[in-house]
Amino acid sequence: MSEQFGTVGRRTLLRGSLVAAAMVPVGGALASCAGSGAGPAAPQETGEATDNNPFGVPEGSTVDAVIFNGGYGVDYVEFAAEVMGASMGVTPKISPSTAIAQELQPRFAGGNPPDLIDNSGAQQIGFNAILDQLEDLTDVIDANNYEGTPIRDTLYEGVLAPGTFGDKLAAINYVLTVYGVWYSASLFEENGWTVPTTWDEALELGAKAKEKDKYLFVWGKEAATYYQTMAIESAIMQGGDEVRLALENLQPDCWSKPAVQDVFTKMAEAVEKGYFAPGGAGTQFTAAQAQWSNDQEALLYPSGAWIENEMKSQTAEGFEMKGFRGLVVDPATAVLPAGALHSTAGEPYIVPSQAANVAGGKELLRAMLSKEAATNFAKEKLAPTIVQGTVPEDGFGSTALQSQTEMLNAAGTDVFTFNFVSTYGMNADMLTVWNSFLDGSFGVDELTSRLQELTDAVANDDSVEKIEVQ
Amino acid sequence: MAVFLGLPLLIYVGLVLWPFGQAFYYSLTAWSGFSPPKGFVGLDNYARIFSDATFLRAMRNNVILVVVVPLVTIVLSLALASVLTVSGSSTGEVRGLRGSSLYRVVSFFPYAVPAIVIGLIWGMVYNPRGGLLNGFLTALGFDAFAAFPWLGDTDTAMGATIFVMVWAMVGFYMVLFVAAIRGVDKEVFEAARLDGAGRFRTAVTITVPLIRDNVQTAYIYLGIAALDAFVFMQAMNPTGGPDNSTLVMAQELFRTAFTQNRWGEASAMGVVLALVTLAFAALVFVVNRLTGAEKDEGKRT
Repeated sequence: MSEQFGTVGRRTLLRGSLVAAAMVPVGGALASCAGSGAGPAAPQETGEATDNNPFGVPEGSTVDAVIFNGGYGVDYVEFAAEVMGASMGVTPKISPSTAIAQELQPRFAGGNPPDLIDNSGAQQIGFNAILDQLEDLTDVIDANNYEGTPIRDTLYEGVLAPGTFGDKLAAINYVLTVYGVWYSASLFEENGWTVPTTWDEALELGAKAKEKDKYLFVWGKEAATYYQTMAIESAIMQGGDEVRLALENLQPDCWSKPAVQDVFTKMAEAVEKGYFAPGGAGTQFTAAQAQWSNDQEALLYPSGAWIENEMKSQTAEGFEMKGFRGLVVDPATAVLPAGALHSTAGEPYIVPSQAANVAGGKELLRAMLSKEAATNFAKEKLAPTIVQGTVPEDGFGSTALQSQTEMLNAAGTDVFTFNFVSTYGMNADMLTVWNSFLDGSFGVDELTSRLQELTDAVANDDSVEKIEVQ
Repeated sequence: MAVFLGLPLLIYVGLVLWPFGQAFYYSLTAWSGFSPPKGFVGLDNYARIFSDATFLRAMRNNVILVVVVPLVTIVLSLALASVLTVSGSSTGEVRGLRGSSLYRVVSFFPYAVPAIVIGLIWGMVYNPRGGLLNGFLTALGFDAFAAFPWLGDTDTAMGATIFVMVWAMVGFYMVLFVAAIRGVDKEVFEAARLDGAGRFRTAVTITVPLIRDNVQTAYIYLGIAALDAFVFMQAMNPTGGPDNSTLVMAQELFRTAFTQNRWGEASAMGVVLALVTLAFAALVFVVNRLTGAEKDEGKRT
């Protein structure tokens, strides 16, 4: 028997092992999809709820928090945990993660998610997938902060909207993000340039930049859709809610709205005239951003206010970064008032209902919303949180932070935002289209039809749950 | 006996077959990934992915890779391996080029560097402005390449990526073939030379048939690497390249699972990828058999 095994085996075994080898990488890819059933909500052991402990965190318990380790790091949560720990006798366990979805998918599917999560970054968990497993955080907002004021009264206008799904406050977005177009105030002053407010002024500026061998804009391949964000902002400033709701609700002709088309046309003109630095479709986005912030080859860059922190180590000496709210096509007919601003809250913090210490997760969030922790964040990260009045007039010495405060003050209540791209996970597909538009391979028509195809595909897909925006 | 066979079998079933079966089951559901699997939908996911232009595009790119990468890598590494072992001086003993051990070490270097690092390094080399390649070309006077986006142009993105994959793998397969050729009796090559066979003739009619088992193994491994290709693609073009020209199935699977939370559909993609890989391996066996593997085998023993 063993003799026969030996002779029959050599080739068959080799063949078998090759097939097995062929299956190894596939097995790996598939095995990572494995999940096990989630049990019922964990029984909660709660302590007595008091004024100082509104959610009844049991004494001596542990709070397990997983925080996205991105531009803002995790030290600000550790700071808040210290603020909390002093009064609570609770042990915080703060774990950083750069891939929230990958790391937490097995924990969600297995029924033991952490108590508090900063569900942020490129690999955030889509809200449509976990919405019914999250706590409603309204009781956190209704609680008093550590200084004794109801938290609801300390927040900026409209900051709870991005975390509200239907009538459920499923996430509290901690950081206030102002979107705009950023530039070097010192460079503009040196050359006697004025900051453009309309697309025509921007195109004129592009011609002036050309004279100095500079470009108006620069883009990187992973961030080509920053220009989509900029275009949508422009279109909403021009056309108001009609445009915003058409896009948010994926209407069949949303990209053909005149307000959108006018902006695309102006952008195409900038592309045609060579005002975009060439090669963006093959450039890594931080390298492209450094062309603007360090080499100063380009004048303007549209982005969220995180850009200052992101490029801190790669910004030219004496750059004096400032921002403005964006460009409009025709201010005379614009529906939204002159100061209207794209601003929203980011870094969504969530508390899963199945967590072992739901009260602890909420308490840590309450600590983060204390004046002490929020001020610490603004100071360390040079970005405002959703808590008002934490940034002094000098912006802790940052010109970008000063101009954020100026933009917010100018906007007052005229603040808008839009979420359809991230809600339906369309950014990856849109990047491809925008790279082709910005490098000149697509014209306005092709850009429009490709974007419309993408939104139509989601709109017509019954398996995707739509969130109606009003 | 039962322990020696039973235990590995148990491990194999538990760690290989079971996840396969599980993934196949998930591919029949509308599972979102973050709750217990639910919503049996039959073959809907398969219908979806085969009518999804992006997935088909990714599949086409994988097919291009699986045709080009193994072929180029094997031809190159076989040529190098023969040069280093039997194509040296044509007088005296059959041997490789002088200093061949140095070349062997040097060309093995890329394989010692992790693929992700290779991808990132080459991403910088290809960088349109300030990248090594364009700097070199413009220094030579080719001003058209001043800001040419190698990874951002539909005509060059795939080619540039394939070049890097081949660059990364050729050294390892060269070493593999060197070892295989060393295992062949030197007299065979000597006899061929006495009969008047040149270097190319020796390589094609003597070397390749004698080490065809190794070539077949190499072909399958390279094919699997090309069907995966995830690391290289994700490092050089995480967005799928211009007009998705470098998007591969594994990337689309990853995107579907982790950014769109469609784990059922992603599992279906995984099953398709597994079947394509198996089909590829089977094809290599059949081709090898048809081109006379049994005959050569017979000759040798």
